[in-house]
Amino acid sequence: MAMRGWLRRKKTSVKDRLSHSGEPVRVREISDQLSENIAELNAIFTLTPDLVIRTFDSRHAGGKVTLVYLTGLVDKNSINNNVLRPLLSHREGESSSIFDLLSVGKVTVVYDFQTVENDILKGSSVLFIEGRKEALVVETNGWPQRALEDPQLEASLKGAHQGFVETDSQNIALIRRYIPNRELKIKEIWVGERGDTKLSIMFLADVVNPEVLQELEDRLGRIKVDSILNTGELEEYIEDNPYSPFPQFITTERPDTTASHLLQGKIAVVVDRSPSVMIAPVSFASFFQNVDDYSIRWPVASFIRLLRYLAFIVATFLPAIYIALISFNYEVIPLDLILSIGESREKVPFPPLLEALLMELTLEMLRESGIRLPAPIGQTVGIVGGIVIGQAVVQAGIVSNIMVIVVAFTAIASFIIPNYDMSSAVRLIRFVMMVLAAMFGIVGIVVGLMALIGHLISLQSLGVPYGSPLAPVRFSDWKDLFVRLPLWKMLERPTGARTVQEKRQGDNQPEGDAK
Amino acid sequence: MKKYAYYELSVIQYILLIHGTQVGIGVLTIPRELAEQAGTDGWISLFIGWAAAVLVSLVTTNMMKRYPDKTIIDIFHLLLGKYLGKVATILMAMYFAIASIVFIANTTAIINVWILSQTPAYIIVALFAIPAYMVVQGGMRVIGRYSELVFYLTLWMPLVLATALKDAHWLHLLPLIKEGWMPILTASQTTILSFLGFEMAYFVYPFLQKKQYASIGIVVANTLTLLVYLYITIICFAFFCPDEIVEYVWPTLNLWKVIEYRFLERIDIIFLAFYLFILSTTALPYLYFTVFSTSQLFNSRDHRKHLWVLLTLITVMAWVYTPSFIDLKKMTQTWSYAGLIFAYLLPLLAWGPIWLSKRAGGKEA
Repeated sequence: MAMRGWLRRKKTSVKDRLSHSGEPVRVREISDQLSENIAELNAIFTLTPDLVIRTFDSRHAGGKVTLVYLTGLVDKNSINNNVLRPLLSHREGESSSIFDLLSVGKVTVVYDFQTVENDILKGSSVLFIEGRKEALVVETNGWPQRALEDPQLEASLKGAHQGFVETDSQNIALIRRYIPNRELKIKEIWVGERGDTKLSIMFLADVVNPEVLQELEDRLGRIKVDSILNTGELEEYIEDNPYSPFPQFITTERPDTTASHLLQGKIAVVVDRSPSVMIAPVSFASFFQNVDDYSIRWPVASFIRLLRYLAFIVATFLPAIYIALISFNYEVIPLDLILSIGESREKVPFPPLLEALLMELTLEMLRESGIRLPAPIGQTVGIVGGIVIGQAVVQAGIVSNIMVIVVAFTAIASFIIPNYDMSSAVRLIRFVMMVLAAMFGIVGIVVGLMALIGHLISLQSLGVPYGSPLAPVRFSDWKDLFVRLPLWKMLERPTGARTVQEKRQGDNQPEGDAK
Repeated sequence: MKKYAYYELSVIQYILLIHGTQVGIGVLTIPRELAEQAGTDGWISLFIGWAAAVLVSLVTTNMMKRYPDKTIIDIFHLLLGKYLGKVATILMAMYFAIASIVFIANTTAIINVWILSQTPAYIIVALFAIPAYMVVQGGMRVIGRYSELVFYLTLWMPLVLATALKDAHWLHLLPLIKEGWMPILTASQTTILSFLGFEMAYFVYPFLQKKQYASIGIVVANTLTLLVYLYITIICFAFFCPDEIVEYVWPTLNLWKVIEYRFLERIDIIFLAFYLFILSTTALPYLYFTVFSTSQLFNSRDHRKHLWVLLTLITVMAWVYTPSFIDLKKMTQTWSYAGLIFAYLLPLLAWGPIWLSKRAGGKEA
């Protein structure tokens, strides 16, 4: 407790240092003299070679006009065609207002340099006009971005093949394509003193629980940092329990997953410059669901669901159970089996815990080394890991055959869990369980399980129980928990997100031939 | 002003929390205790114990109904005044503390005998303290969810146990009432105490969401407990020879020992390890209400610090002093007497005055 208090105190002191307290913010008005404005701009943007300041004569303005933008952050075509050309060329009988000439969707009038500075830094171009105490901010944003691609982390068989990109407006558009409904509302919040990241909170206004939404907004509003570079960072600032190994929000790179969560009454936060969207509130069970579940036949989908939960148990407990059975409770295993296990362990000099730790750590290393390697080198890891280590370690008598099987099975099982954050949490817990099993045998494992359950049911995501619908038990939600029943059976939205509107669909049960 | 509205319990959580508190170590020993006193007729005394427990629970619920938003501690303060109320709260906290300590000592002893014979008791207690802290720190809400989840998680146990029935000799149970009613009545002393746990209603009642189901809920909880005891007792009586069963300290564990599969032997070890879940649903509410009482005593809203202190104290106690079996028996006796006073006598004595005072108060208003 004391440590927690200390951490918090430290955090606040960092916060204080960050905010530029003391100095009142100086608001400089835009002058009607172009030269003064340019001087001010040069004072703001020192050492900024990518700043373009172009002054030219425009008859429409009846004098000189200055166009300012950061090259690279703007769309050159748009500047040339929609701003420069209409202002430079002059035909008889045309409207003479500059505002009407700019063939760009969004043009705003601003009066102070603070706004001008922010807008230039975000990729707009700004027009100063001789003799006017205002400037026009023209939306000409166009920074380098990549094309839509298949989601890398969450591949899907039958789902859509578009993943989020790094531009939030695109991502919002991708989500809107799935829910073209006026109730899909967006609230914008700016976070970060230096990075100034735009967060768009998306939700279905008539479904979402207003208290949960308010809670999220409050927490986002409290963040005071330099910059949020990624959704994962954002998560860490607003989690309910920052000391838990479990992810308390889902981050996804799939627009269809996001849309499905929005329809369930959850809230999505689109973070500008991050290709993943955060979804809240979530429960433990939602980490085991996948878009594909709903597009394959329901008995198959149910089977796969069950497989995933089994995989979760195997990935968490299998090495621990092996250790407990070999080193502690061998009386549980029948004689024939224990003899054959003993035979394979005959040459192994290490105690089971050390043997297991050795193999598990090797596996974790293989896994981590594979992630960031370029594809051509990646194959080497497979060969070295699989053949050299797997084969040789057994022949050298360092690790028993059965241990290799256990570790390999654990690895496969941990890959089945569809969410990366969740499977990482499982990796960590596995080691805790292994140590407990080595110290206390089966009792250790059960106590570990007890602690795990105790932790899971006291966790919350945005104040909504994480263990739902398992604890507190809500049987109506079990239709989509361990099994997935036919979609026409799920008449109501899941209660997990405490939605205001419960009904999801009418009676759609297909009649079939039998009737 | 509803003080406890934030942590509301559903009816099922209310039932299973009370049921979970009732079912504990009793399941492991009750077949022997009954057989010692009443032979194979012992199961009949379970009904007597059940009837007594239901009666007193109904009185308790009725008493609590007078003050729907108050725990027993608030009622103490209301009826007895500030100082006597404090004394009563201390007594209550002591009862719950004794219950938790005795229970944990018993559990540790069983684990020590049956599975971890080399591990010192205090290390086992320290091990139990980890999940205990994790659950109890969440308060009523988490304990309610925990009890509910554990009930569902352990439903496989009676099913597996049923496989022992293929070797049962039902003739052991006959003839009924072979030695008259006296032994059965004597044995009901034991059974009355194995229903201890319904006194949780003192604290749980104000948390209950739908108060109209409180009476039905507590009857259901008692009945569930009765069914569990009946099931295990009858299987044990039918399976073991009537003279043999008295020899075992924990006949239920011996029963599990007999079940075997081709790939798994000594299921009793796995069973006992998982039975820790059921044991925890007894220990955790007692622990929680101990620290709940003490934190109310000191007017602090956070029970976690008290929980820390309590768990550390219990661990240190286990380190300093490991009770022998005779000591354990004496400790359990103490708990039983305290339970008799706090769970059975208290509502019977308090109900009259509370009823009268409320009635008088009602007339004035």
